[in-house]
Amino acid sequence: MSTAAAQMARRRVLSGELAGFMYRVAGVVLVCVGLSLATDAFLTVSNLLNVLRQASLIFLVASGVTLVVLTAGLDLSVGANVGLSACLAAAAIKSGAVELGIVTGLASGTGIGLLNGLMVTRLRVPPFIATYGMLWVVHGITYWYMDGQTIYDFPERFRALGSGYLLGVPIPVYLMTACLAAGGVFTRYTIWGHQIYAIGANPEAARLSGVPVRMRLNLVYTLSGAMAGLASIVYLARLNSAEADIGEPLMLPAIAAILIGGTSLFGGIGSLSGTLVGAILLTLVLNGMNLLTVGANWQPLVTGVIVLLAVWIDVATRRRAGG
Amino acid sequence: MGHGRFGRLAFLTVTAGVLVSCAQARDGADGEQIALFTKNQTNPYFQSIRLGADDAARQMGVEIVHYVPTRPDSIPDQMSQIEDAIIKRPDAVVFIPVDFQAMVPGVGQMNAAGIPVVNLTDRAAGGDFVSWVGCDDRTLGLNAGRYLLERMNGRGNVIILEGVGGSANSKARVGGFLQAIEEAPGVTLVASQPGNFQRLQALQVTENLLQAYPEIDGVMAANDSMALGAIEALDAANRQALVVGINGTKEAVDAIKAGKLVASTDCNGFVQGCIGAMVAIRHIRDLPVPAEFQFPQPVIDSTNYGDLDLPDEQRSCPSWESVAGSLATSPAGGG
Amino acid sequence: MTPKSLLARATAVPGVAYLLVALIVAFSILGPGFASAPNLRNIGVQSSILLLLALPMTFIIMSEGLDLSMGAVLGLAGVTLASLLAGGVALAPAAVAASGVGLVFGVINGLLVVRLGIPPFVSTLGTLGVAQGAALVATDGQSVVGIGPTLPSLYASAWMGLPFSVLVAVAVYLIFHAVLYKTRFGTYVFAIGGNRESLTLAGVHTDLYHIGIYALGGLMAGVAALLLTGRMNAGHPTAALGMEFDAIAAVIVGGTSFERGNGWLPGTLLGVLTVGVLRNGLNVVAVSSSLQVASIGALVIVALVIDSVRTSWRERT
Repeated sequence: MSTAAAQMARRRVLSGELAGFMYRVAGVVLVCVGLSLATDAFLTVSNLLNVLRQASLIFLVASGVTLVVLTAGLDLSVGANVGLSACLAAAAIKSGAVELGIVTGLASGTGIGLLNGLMVTRLRVPPFIATYGMLWVVHGITYWYMDGQTIYDFPERFRALGSGYLLGVPIPVYLMTACLAAGGVFTRYTIWGHQIYAIGANPEAARLSGVPVRMRLNLVYTLSGAMAGLASIVYLARLNSAEADIGEPLMLPAIAAILIGGTSLFGGIGSLSGTLVGAILLTLVLNGMNLLTVGANWQPLVTGVIVLLAVWIDVATRRRAGG
Repeated sequence: MGHGRFGRLAFLTVTAGVLVSCAQARDGADGEQIALFTKNQTNPYFQSIRLGADDAARQMGVEIVHYVPTRPDSIPDQMSQIEDAIIKRPDAVVFIPVDFQAMVPGVGQMNAAGIPVVNLTDRAAGGDFVSWVGCDDRTLGLNAGRYLLERMNGRGNVIILEGVGGSANSKARVGGFLQAIEEAPGVTLVASQPGNFQRLQALQVTENLLQAYPEIDGVMAANDSMALGAIEALDAANRQALVVGINGTKEAVDAIKAGKLVASTDCNGFVQGCIGAMVAIRHIRDLPVPAEFQFPQPVIDSTNYGDLDLPDEQRSCPSWESVAGSLATSPAGGG
Repeated sequence: MTPKSLLARATAVPGVAYLLVALIVAFSILGPGFASAPNLRNIGVQSSILLLLALPMTFIIMSEGLDLSMGAVLGLAGVTLASLLAGGVALAPAAVAASGVGLVFGVINGLLVVRLGIPPFVSTLGTLGVAQGAALVATDGQSVVGIGPTLPSLYASAWMGLPFSVLVAVAVYLIFHAVLYKTRFGTYVFAIGGNRESLTLAGVHTDLYHIGIYALGGLMAGVAALLLTGRMNAGHPTAALGMEFDAIAAVIVGGTSFERGNGWLPGTLLGVLTVGVLRNGLNVVAVSSSLQVASIGALVIVALVIDSVRTSWRERT
């Protein structure tokens, strides 16, 4: 494919993606308008900051997985990863210093991510199975390590990472913004980022054009694990305690956020900003359901419908654009 | 891959297995053995129960085997584990059903196999049991609720954090909360939402409710994990409210000492595990056991946390005599 | 027999077979009572529901798809069945209704994937939410009890020593086997995975059969609900959540793969048995719970590593 044609193709994809992104932002605005009409409690500064804080926690987990999905892969182990990393970090904080805890959490997350990557690239286990197996293995290790106990009560300055404010904005939101910025630059403006998209779009072609596919795949899985490690620190700080199942409810919302955000499971299409919008939309809906005291039984149904709608919009617009 | 090869493989495998197991044939374990079924590996409450049962079994010289679902609270997992346990024929089983209705056939299977079963904590909806050991969930909720409202001087807004929607103990505890609220006309219930007995969910629900209701004076949480989650939310939002929980875990006691949690009603896992195991072992040894064992449900606050302050590993079971006399005939609604 | 041809023979046997044999031998040695008739019967009973889900999952995976909604649909069908039975409806029409619920969701999955072009992971994730939500709202998270004696006694019945659920599983397996390898629909299933365009060019209503594959998945979830409800003597909305992941793992471990559009149904049976043997054996040997959890993950990974090694050895011989 000539450079000009490739550029045009990419531009078409990007403009399709831009349209999709606009639809999503419109969706967020719509939900906000609806909620502010339905209840007075929604449109307050503190509530909106809460929503951002809750969304940033989902986003931190989902951001790494977005990179994996861009390569047409999947990481089902992130929830378990957050659990183990948080528990190890908690133990490290108790026995040493806060800094040791942070390093431990990040190291644990990164290590698990690297193992996932090696399974996919070296042992050639399909990502679904590799990360699903890893999920169970990590859970087992976490259960054994925690032995049904809770580790709790951490220093104030550590807890600020999760529940504190800086200049009136929750600290996790800063982390989310930093992550979005760094990730955005990485995916859009670096060669490595372009290579990741290329691998997702057509792995054979990418390999033939000289992309070190294995190294990039290892990279994305490791990053996914590292982000899980970062998320585990923030969760730990927020909850002020670690239990073995701290990460279990995270996997599905992360995947939902990614899907709602327009990243395609087939690889090659999507963005971190999409995942952010997806995370915000999801959190808005759940926040609204709490404010309106809609029963929790309705949550899976609502989430399922939103995921379907969001992806259908993408598929329909893509079809029309002929792409 | 032809059918022939597959068939030969299957035949060889089964033959090998049967031959090997014949060579291993021996009678069951010589010592006494009991089995304890708990709901999951992650909730510290069940770990306390397991530790209590372990201690009792150790003191009485009996072997104990634990069965915990690999998927937390999974009904099919516990069903399969019951079937697998029956093969091993423990002398008695101490049983916490993951679902008080769906596990009834499993209890029936144990009954049919002639294995005596002690029902612990969650009352199963059917089946033959040697005894039931536990707390009355409604009383737990009632005691906690009454204590909170008293501390609120009978006036103000409260929210309820429910447990897992549809679970029997959640409904009973919430029922107790509601009864306490009804008794105090100056108190308004502004919201009641499920927190799944989990800390993070309770935290986020409380956060959201704090937005919706600018005046919240009290929080009734159906377990300690959720109470602690609510406390985190209140701290982060710089709001004040009085919080009660249920379970009397070590972490709750620490929070009480720190003045963050007002109280928790005691349904202590460790002692329940002790008594459950003791009842099962006594039954094996043909010693008398009561048909119902209801623990008093005292409210633990800063004045009386006493023994609960120890981590479970350092505790040891009370003797049967000290417990049996006071508990066996105590009516519900103590404290 | 030369070493080379021995190696060729050895690598022709799929990894799951080695794994299954190894597990059976190990548990027989380590766990007294493992290879006893009652325990083998238990393994059969415990594996039958999973097999009912894994068989249509094989077809779906062969068509390069996935169905994440099976556990939730099973729950909804089970709750429907239980409610009808508790309301006095006879077993046969209630069972038909439950299967109908499953079939409807299966068709919806098929339409979403085939007509609207939404990827199977997403479509079935969506229907998972809808089915789970419907079941939760209808029952408020509670079991539905009072289903009467007919279903439980049917479930508890046995024929020549084989329990009802095992009989059903065997029968369903034989049906699926015949369909895949002996009927035109079976060839279509292979083609939909391997070479969809040529099928359409040959004048076949490919879309219809493709939807049919997903409909079959929903239908089997409904049938499996019969067994689970009989087992629990109640309908429960969330009891089966997560089973579809076990089914997917069993299918992949058994040798069917996501990409190549080929499949091996006996492999699915072996995969299901391997999972069943592992779970049962770990209980009989009284392995600690956290180690059990880790072993299940390790099993899945090891099976695929064996296959990966096998394939690279084969490529060399």
